Amino acid sequence: MWQGLIDDFTQCFVANGRWGYLLRGLGVTMEVALSAIAVGLLVGFLVAVIRSSHDRYGYFRILNFVAKVYLTVIRGTPMVVQLLITYYIILKSIDSKVLIAILAFGINSGAYQAEIIRAGIESIDPGQMEAGRALGLSYWRTMIRIILPQAIRNVLPALGNEFIVLLKDTSIVGYIALIDLAKGGDIIRSQTYSVYLPYLTVAAVYLVLVMTLTWLLGKLERYLRNTGADVVGNGS
Amino acid sequence: MSETLLSIKGLKKSFGKLEVLKGLTTDIRKGEVVVMIGPSGGGKSTFLRCMNLLEQPTEGSIVFDGIDIVSADEAVKNRVRSEMGMVFQHFNLFPHLTVLDNIRLAPRLVRGHSHYATARQALELLDRVGLADKAKAYPQQLSGGQKQRVAIVRSLAMEPKVMLFDEPTSALDPEMVGEVLDVMKDLAKNGMTMVAVTHEMRFARDVASRVLFLEGGRIAAEGTPAEIFDRKHDGRLGEFLGKVHVGMGFRDKVKSELLDILEDREVSEEELARLKELLGGASRQSDGFSNPTKRRTTQ
Ligand SMILES: Nc1ncnc2c1ncn2[C@@H]1O[C@H](COP(=O)(O)OP(=O)(O)OP(=O)(O)O)[C@@H](O)[C@H]1O
Ligand SMILES: [Mg+2]
Repeated sequence: MWQGLIDDFTQCFVANGRWGYLLRGLGVTMEVALSAIAVGLLVGFLVAVIRSSHDRYGYFRILNFVAKVYLTVIRGTPMVVQLLITYYIILKSIDSKVLIAILAFGINSGAYQAEIIRAGIESIDPGQMEAGRALGLSYWRTMIRIILPQAIRNVLPALGNEFIVLLKDTSIVGYIALIDLAKGGDIIRSQTYSVYLPYLTVAAVYLVLVMTLTWLLGKLERYLRNTGADVVGNGS
Repeated sequence: MSETLLSIKGLKKSFGKLEVLKGLTTDIRKGEVVVMIGPSGGGKSTFLRCMNLLEQPTEGSIVFDGIDIVSADEAVKNRVRSEMGMVFQHFNLFPHLTVLDNIRLAPRLVRGHSHYATARQALELLDRVGLADKAKAYPQQLSGGQKQRVAIVRSLAMEPKVMLFDEPTSALDPEMVGEVLDVMKDLAKNGMTMVAVTHEMRFARDVASRVLFLEGGRIAAEGTPAEIFDRKHDGRLGEFLGKVHVGMGFRDKVKSELLDILEDREVSEEELARLKELLGGASRQSDGFSNPTKRRTTQ
């Protein structure tokens, strides 16, 4: 029985350097996921500020309309379909599949992050904006230095959850023939006809990734809560 | 008569169909302490918030330092706001920043003053209100009275030409009202131009150079504290002053006299405590006037 397992292991991961599929796949998964988180945050902040500024103060009428269309489309269609449309239609002139995946996932996640951040902004007492403006700070400066740091602190758990969802969602990039961790495991399965080891290993690696991310976010959350620290950096 | 700092003419403000300010005209001169009183919903806060353009007036003009700020562009409005301090009922300190950073955020961002200079200035100001040891604390670690003193200092750090106060003591426990009023009295004594909405009638009487009575979006009465408080008035002003129990200043005096007398007699601690309770404690903070908005505004 042990001999069988060892043979299986050798076959799956050692022979022909197949472990390389997993290692390179892991690299792709992390690259796509982390970059998409960053793109998503950028889009998310922008859309959240536009939406909440509109709802509270009536600013950015047109941009708010655009943002609403974006949110509706992204949240109303499946991720796989968005990925395929991005690959075959919108960005078909771009060669880098990794870049295409980053943009597709980033723009998708941006919609969800936007709604989370908007909830955070709207949870802040309007008196905070007033105090900032009364001191002579512009709307944007007050937003960036006073509102957003508090908003982020309030929604960090929900935001972290979205990061985890995004990380796991990237496992569908195989649809555009990008070899990530999941696809790497799948290739090993197709070459070795061995099912258990490749898939279970892939699952375990994802689990470790998610647990690491959860741990890091937990640390950040505790840090922000304990110090009441200034996220944007006031130079203090 | 000293120079005019803020000249307000025909100021109107509507929220949708509701006309809240119905044409206010008044001048605020340098060094003046103007106290605004009036019934709830009379437009006191709205008036104050129009002065520094937190609310955009619908009509009228406000001339500050020689320019009409109502129609000024955004950059000018930001500069104007940086030259007017505002203190809110609920303090509105920034909870994610230390006391020190609350105070120096605006001097650094708006005025571009250095890290070091703003820290030194903040500490000096904190020292003036007796809170130098709280520089590193976060707002949630302070009492209400301390928060409001920090909020005042935060405004002062911008070296404003005028300070606007919107019921700065209404959200405070009674025993903390005095410490905030003391800071305000000190400011007035040092020549700061102030406009304050308050229900602290003793403060108004002692410190104000002028009292405005706002009612139904109009300045319904105006005068020196003596003219407003020491005369009999009919109509709305009389009614309002009656409600805030101006007459009780006398009763409070009797209370404290009585307690003084009793303290010298052989009355047991218990009896004294019971008497104090019955009299409702003639503390100096009650200032002899009950505050009709107190219950409503404490959230
Ligand atoms: N942002 C707003 N939108 C709509 N109505 C408003 C707004 N702000 C104030 N009002 C209305 O304007 C009127 C005057 O309000 P304001 O707060 O100026 O009165 P106030 O004299 O300060 O009263 P209080 O003593 O209760 O603070 C009220 O009827 C209030 O409901
Ligand atoms: Mg008010």
